[in-house]
Amino acid sequence: MQLAAHHPPDRNFKYWIIAPAVFLLLAVGLFPLIYSLVVSFMRIDMMDTDTSFAGLYNYKQLFKDARLWQSLLHTLIITAVALPLELILGLAMAYLFLERMPGRQIFVSLLVLPTIISPIVAGATWRLLLDNQYGPINQILGWFAGQRVNLLWTINPHLVYPAIIFCEIWQWTPFMFLILLAALSNVDKSQTEAAEIDGASFLRTFRYIVLPAIWPVMAIAILIRGLDLFRIFDIIWALTMGGPGTMTETISIYTYNQGFKQFETSYTAAIAFLVIAILTVVVTWAIRRMGLAK
Amino acid sequence: MSDLKITKLNKHYGAFHAVKGIDLEVPSGEFTVLVGPSGCGKSTLLRTIAGLEEASSGTVEIGGQDVTWARPRDRNIAMVFQNYALYPYLNVKDNIAFGLRSRKVAEAEVEKRVKRAAEMLGIAHLLARFPRELSGGQRQRVAIGRAIVRDAILYLFDEPLSNLDAQLRDDMRVEIKRLHQELGRTMIYVTHDQIEAMTLADRIVLLRDGLIEQQGAPLDLFERPKTRFVAGFLGSPKMNFIPATLTETGVALSDGTALELPGRRGLKAGQAVVLGLRPQYISMAGQALAPGHARVPVTIELVQPTGSRVQATMPLGGASIIAELAAHDVSRPGERTAIDIDMTRAVIIDPQSEQVI
Repeated sequence: MQLAAHHPPDRNFKYWIIAPAVFLLLAVGLFPLIYSLVVSFMRIDMMDTDTSFAGLYNYKQLFKDARLWQSLLHTLIITAVALPLELILGLAMAYLFLERMPGRQIFVSLLVLPTIISPIVAGATWRLLLDNQYGPINQILGWFAGQRVNLLWTINPHLVYPAIIFCEIWQWTPFMFLILLAALSNVDKSQTEAAEIDGASFLRTFRYIVLPAIWPVMAIAILIRGLDLFRIFDIIWALTMGGPGTMTETISIYTYNQGFKQFETSYTAAIAFLVIAILTVVVTWAIRRMGLAK
Repeated sequence: MSDLKITKLNKHYGAFHAVKGIDLEVPSGEFTVLVGPSGCGKSTLLRTIAGLEEASSGTVEIGGQDVTWARPRDRNIAMVFQNYALYPYLNVKDNIAFGLRSRKVAEAEVEKRVKRAAEMLGIAHLLARFPRELSGGQRQRVAIGRAIVRDAILYLFDEPLSNLDAQLRDDMRVEIKRLHQELGRTMIYVTHDQIEAMTLADRIVLLRDGLIEQQGAPLDLFERPKTRFVAGFLGSPKMNFIPATLTETGVALSDGTALELPGRRGLKAGQAVVLGLRPQYISMAGQALAPGHARVPVTIELVQPTGSRVQATMPLGGASIIAELAAHDVSRPGERTAIDIDMTRAVIIDPQSEQVI
């Protein structure tokens, strides 16, 4: 007699179980991405009822948009100045706190505070601190100058970049510091001691012993901060809103302006995909270059 | 001339007093071994000599110069670390050459000296390898190569063999001794292994609780220990300690056994002491009793053969003692026999002061 009920277990059953979760992920993750790609090929803005297919029109517009390339340049300038400074300062602080000293843990906790604060709050706070009339920074500078100082930190074209970069460094150097401190603590102490006895200078020890050891962690920290800096928004929004004029408009701020002030929905989608394309190329190159794929 | 002179050296770690006012002088070309149980301050002392730890007080002179506050690099020393401390991202050749290049030695000279050191240590074929591609023994050789390639006044070794397995340790010990004989340099070697200390040292400095307990030639310490600690620390198997009472001419054990102490006069009869007997100076009772020996009947309790010798455990005078006998002297526990003790080698210790009388 055949055992009719005896059939092999349904191997596909497990897929049915996770199907709802996968569907949910796709719905909230992949769908908007694809939908915005579709939108970028259309002619949608919030002022017009015409939503016809536009082909590559929006992408062609990108190349003619001087303000877009200006904002990319602003983004690159901020990244190129702030990233190395955060790295060097963070590394120097990490070296400083590598030594055991009384109160070390309290100092480390205090130093990390800026990173915990929400960037928009940090920006708003600095906006007040840097206020030309009532801000304590001009007041303190005034004590040293011996006269009233009235520096327009968020308006003066010569001062806006220093102000933005300063706030950015103030907020994110602790992030570098913390990661590099952890990396440095893991360097075998006897190796650096051996180098000390071998007569190696600080730089030589760093180059041949410390840097190779902390490199994987440091590279990832650089990558994370680099990506964050490329998307910088909050601090600038709070300090200058991209001004004076469009002088400190970064790619994120420009995209926001296009999307939610000009209501150029389709064009904004095209900008977003340009940014995705740029970041994909840069990150892929960086990962290969930094040897992180190994 | 002495290459190292330490005067009243102290080292505190917070409330912990690791090195307690040590004076030490190491003559040129000598192989000095700092030995002691863990926590005795030997590694701290070595690291203070190297400048890796700051002295709390006292002075360190290397090659006639006061280097108490000098940086490690300015002390003209080379050091071999317990965990090798090879530079993982440099190959063997660059590891060995690192110190020379740091000191801006001409590249031709670097090549020559690295080659010579590598040949001396039998690692010339490994120069292109990286540390992770080497075995433990090979890594140790590279670490030693990195030290001897330098032209230093002092060569410091911090327990260099403790990470190796027993067989390799024996081989490397021979190697290090041979190197010292060839190079004739001043070497200071830290270990907790008394066999390493005995075999390698020109002079042993035995440390205990941050103080020098006794220093001298290995045999001097072995045969004429000044304290119970020294007597017990050096030698394997360890010295036997038996409680005893002094008599006019020797000692009496608690079971009534009387043992003569030849050549000793003016003993304070009645004083409680500890009798120290090395297992090596106890033998099976032969035909005639050799002069200065005492014959005692015993019952063997335990037998541990080691090949050429056998370690026999037996009760004597209320203590359990070990005798190192010839391989075929005893074969099984329970055997009733007699032993001859070389009383000229016996050590008498005051149980209060722990000093040898």
